[in-house]
Amino acid sequence: MELARDEYATHIAYDELLDRALQPRAAAQPLFDYLNSLHDGELAKRQQAVDATIMAMGITFTVYSEAGNIDRVWPFDPIPRVMGRKEWESIQAGLKQRLRALNLFINDLYNEQRIIKDGVFPAEVLEGSGNFRPQCVGITPRFGVWAHICGTDLVRDKDGTVYVLEDNLRVPSGVSYMLENRQVMKRIFPEVFRTTNILPVDDYPARLYQMLASLSPREGEQPVIAVLTPGIYNSAYFEHSYLAQQMGAYLVEGSDMVVGADDIVYMKTITGLQRVDVIYRRIDDAFLDPEVFNPDSVLGTPGLMRAWRKGNVGIANAPGAGVADDKVVYAFVPQIIKYYLDEEPILANVPSYQCMIEEQRDYVLANLDKLVVKPANESGGYGMLIGPRATQEERDKFAELIRNDPRNYMAQPTLEISTAPTLVDGKLAPRHLDLRPFVLQSDQLYATTGGLTRVAMRKGSLVVNSSQGGGSKDTWIVEDAA
Amino acid sequence: MMLARVAENLYWMARNLERAENTARLINSTTHVLLDLPHGATFGWANLAEIAGLDDLFAKTYPEANEESIMRFLIEDEANPSSIFACVKYARENTRTLREVLPAEMWERINSLYLYVRKNAQAACSNRRERYMVLNEVIQQRHAIVGLFSGTMPHDDAYQLIKLGRNIERADMTTRILDLHSAISFPEDSVVREALVERIWMSTLESLSAYQTYRRLVAMHVRSNDAIRFLLQDMRFPRSVSHCLNEMETCFRLMPKSQQLQQLTALLRLKIAQHPTADLDAVALHEYIDLLQQQLCEIHDALMQNYFHAWQDGVPPSGQAQGDFEFAQQ
Repeated sequence: MELARDEYATHIAYDELLDRALQPRAAAQPLFDYLNSLHDGELAKRQQAVDATIMAMGITFTVYSEAGNIDRVWPFDPIPRVMGRKEWESIQAGLKQRLRALNLFINDLYNEQRIIKDGVFPAEVLEGSGNFRPQCVGITPRFGVWAHICGTDLVRDKDGTVYVLEDNLRVPSGVSYMLENRQVMKRIFPEVFRTTNILPVDDYPARLYQMLASLSPREGEQPVIAVLTPGIYNSAYFEHSYLAQQMGAYLVEGSDMVVGADDIVYMKTITGLQRVDVIYRRIDDAFLDPEVFNPDSVLGTPGLMRAWRKGNVGIANAPGAGVADDKVVYAFVPQIIKYYLDEEPILANVPSYQCMIEEQRDYVLANLDKLVVKPANESGGYGMLIGPRATQEERDKFAELIRNDPRNYMAQPTLEISTAPTLVDGKLAPRHLDLRPFVLQSDQLYATTGGLTRVAMRKGSLVVNSSQGGGSKDTWIVEDAA
Repeated sequence: MMLARVAENLYWMARNLERAENTARLINSTTHVLLDLPHGATFGWANLAEIAGLDDLFAKTYPEANEESIMRFLIEDEANPSSIFACVKYARENTRTLREVLPAEMWERINSLYLYVRKNAQAACSNRRERYMVLNEVIQQRHAIVGLFSGTMPHDDAYQLIKLGRNIERADMTTRILDLHSAISFPEDSVVREALVERIWMSTLESLSAYQTYRRLVAMHVRSNDAIRFLLQDMRFPRSVSHCLNEMETCFRLMPKSQQLQQLTALLRLKIAQHPTADLDAVALHEYIDLLQQQLCEIHDALMQNYFHAWQDGVPPSGQAQGDFEFAQQ
C-alpha cells in the first residue's frame, strides 16, 4: 500500500498508525500486514464497496439547503484508526472519572453549591452560564446523576499526549455512526477480523437501554422508553431512529406525548394513552417544555418538567445538565475532579485561558495569532477563531467580541492534533482526526470501546464536524502483543 | 402498542402507494378504451378528473381539459395530492418517519420508486408509448414493495394498518374505474354499440388485471352486468370491492378494540352482496357507485377516529393536550 510520502515528509503532527520513521506502530502492524497483502487496486475496489454498502444501509445525515433537505451519505474512510488495549483502558478510566466528577458538580450547583462556598469555583462563572437552569434548582435526580450520556472529544498533541477537548453533555450525537462503521468494516474486510483481535463495540445499545431502564420510576415493571426527536428535519434523525430501533424503544416527537393533570407523561397510541417511564431526549433544554422554557417551542411537550420534578418520568440527560458543558466551566474540570473525588485527573485538559480574568484576557488579546478562541456555549465547531489560520480582520473582530463579553470566551494554545493514514486518490495521506467516546452513567459507569473517530477529509483541515465536511473511520481497540 | 402518529403514517403510506398504482392503472385503462372507440363515440378528458374526484381542483389550474393537461394533472402535478408523483412523494415522506417500524430495505425501495417517477413523469405525460411503459414500471415497482411487506414484516398491528390502507384505497379505485363507463357516450347504432360495450368492458377488466380471471371464473363473453357483479361482488378476485372489504374485516379482527369497525365493514359487504347488478343503466350505476364511495368514506372516518384520535378520550382533565394533531398527509 503506497504512502503519500510527500505529505508525510513535511509532517509534524503525531500519526496514530505510523512512527516518525513511517513504520507501523505495534498496534497497527497486523493492519499494515493485511493492507500490504492486498493487490494493487484492491483497496480502491473495497472503497467502492464501502460507498455502495453505506448507500444500501441508508446511513445518512441530513444537510439543509435551499433545494430542500437532502440525506447525504456519511463520508467514511476504510483505513481504521487503531489503538492498543492498554492505552485505551487508561483513557477509559479517565473518562469515567471525569463524568463521575462532572455529575457531582452539576448536582452540587443545583443544590448546596458547596464548591462555590469553598472558593474552588467562582460564582461569576455560574452567573454567566447560558446553560444553568434556575428551574432545576433543588432537584436531585435518581442516583444524583444529571448527565447520563456524555460524548467526550479527545485529541492527541504532537508529543503523544491525549487531551480532552470538550465534554458534550447536552445531546451528544454520533454513536450510531460508531456502530455502523464497524458493521461496514466487517462486510468489506472480513479477513482482517479473523487475524486481528479487535474488541467489539456492539454492546452499546444494550448498555444504553439498561441505563435508561434504571431511570424508570416504576421499579419492577417493564419500562416504556421513548426516544424524543425533533423530527425528520433534524440532522441526527437517522441516529434517533437507529437507536430507537436498536433498543426497541418508541421514537416519539413532542406532539406524540401529553402530560396529564396527574403530572404523568403519556404517549398517544392507537389504543389510547400509554404511560411513558423514561425519555431519552434528543432536543435541547430550551425546546423541551414550553410551559417552563421557550414558550414558542413546538418540538417539546408541555408539562414534561412538572412530571420530571415529581419523579414521574426519567429524562436523560436531565434538563440543566448542560451547565457543565461550557467551555469556561471546562477549564475548571481538573479542580472539580480533585474537589469531589480527591483524585488526580487521569486525562489532561488543554491549558485554557479565561477571558473573564483580566491578566489571562490580556495574554489572549496579545496572542490571538497563536491561540484558538472558543465561545462558551456553542457546539459543532461554530463561532471559533483559529488564530494562526485567521486573517488580521477576523482576529480584530474577535478581540472586539472578547472585550464586549469576556465571560463568554476562552482560549487555548493551538494543538497540532494527530493524524492517521487516510485513503486519498489511491494513496495513504495523513489527515487530522479526533475521537469521541461515549460514556454512560446511572447506578453504573460504562464507556464505549473506542468511540467515533472523526476525520477532516480535506488536506490540512482541522475541522472534523460532519456538518462541515468531516468524515469518519472505524476505531479499533486491539489486544496488545504479548 | 403503537403510536397514533406512526399508525396514521403507515395507513397513509399504504393508501398513497396504492393510489399511485391505481392512478397508473386508471390512465392505462383509459388509454386502452380510447384506442377502441369508434368515430361515433366521444370521451371527455375532463371525465377522468371527475372520476378521480378532482374536477374542481383541475379546473382551478388548467384552462382546458385535453389529453396532455389531464396527464400532467394526474401524473406529475405536485399541486394535485392524488397525482402519481405526489402520492409517491408523500409515501416516501411517510416512510422516512417509519424507518424504525419497517423492514430495512423498505426505505430504499420506496426511495427508488420516487426517484424513478421524478425522472420519468414528464416523458410519461407527453407521449402515449412512453406513458404505458413508465406507468407499467410504477405498477411493477409497487408490486415489489408489497412483496417486501408481506414477505418480511411481522404480521402485527403495523402490518394490519398497511393492509387496511391498501384495501380501502383499492376498493375505492375499483368503484372509480367502474364509473368510467358512465362517462362514455355510445353511438346510436345498436349493433356497433353492443360490440363496443364488450370491448370496453374487456379493457376495463384488463386494467385491473381481471380479464383472464373473469374468463376463467365467469364467462368467455364480457357482459356489463356480469362484469359489474364480478368487480363488486366476487369474493375470489383480489381487486373486487367485496374482496377488499373482506380483507379489511380480517385486519380489524386482528386489531385491538375494533368491534364497531368490523361491523361497519361486514355490513357494507352484505349490502353489496344483496344489491342486484342486473339492469343497471349508466345513471343508476353512477348513483350506486357514489353511494359505495360514501360508505367507504364512513369506514375511513371511523378508523381514523378509532385509532388515530382515540387518545383524546383518555386525556386526564386539564391536561395540556395539543390540538394540532391533524395531519395533512393526503
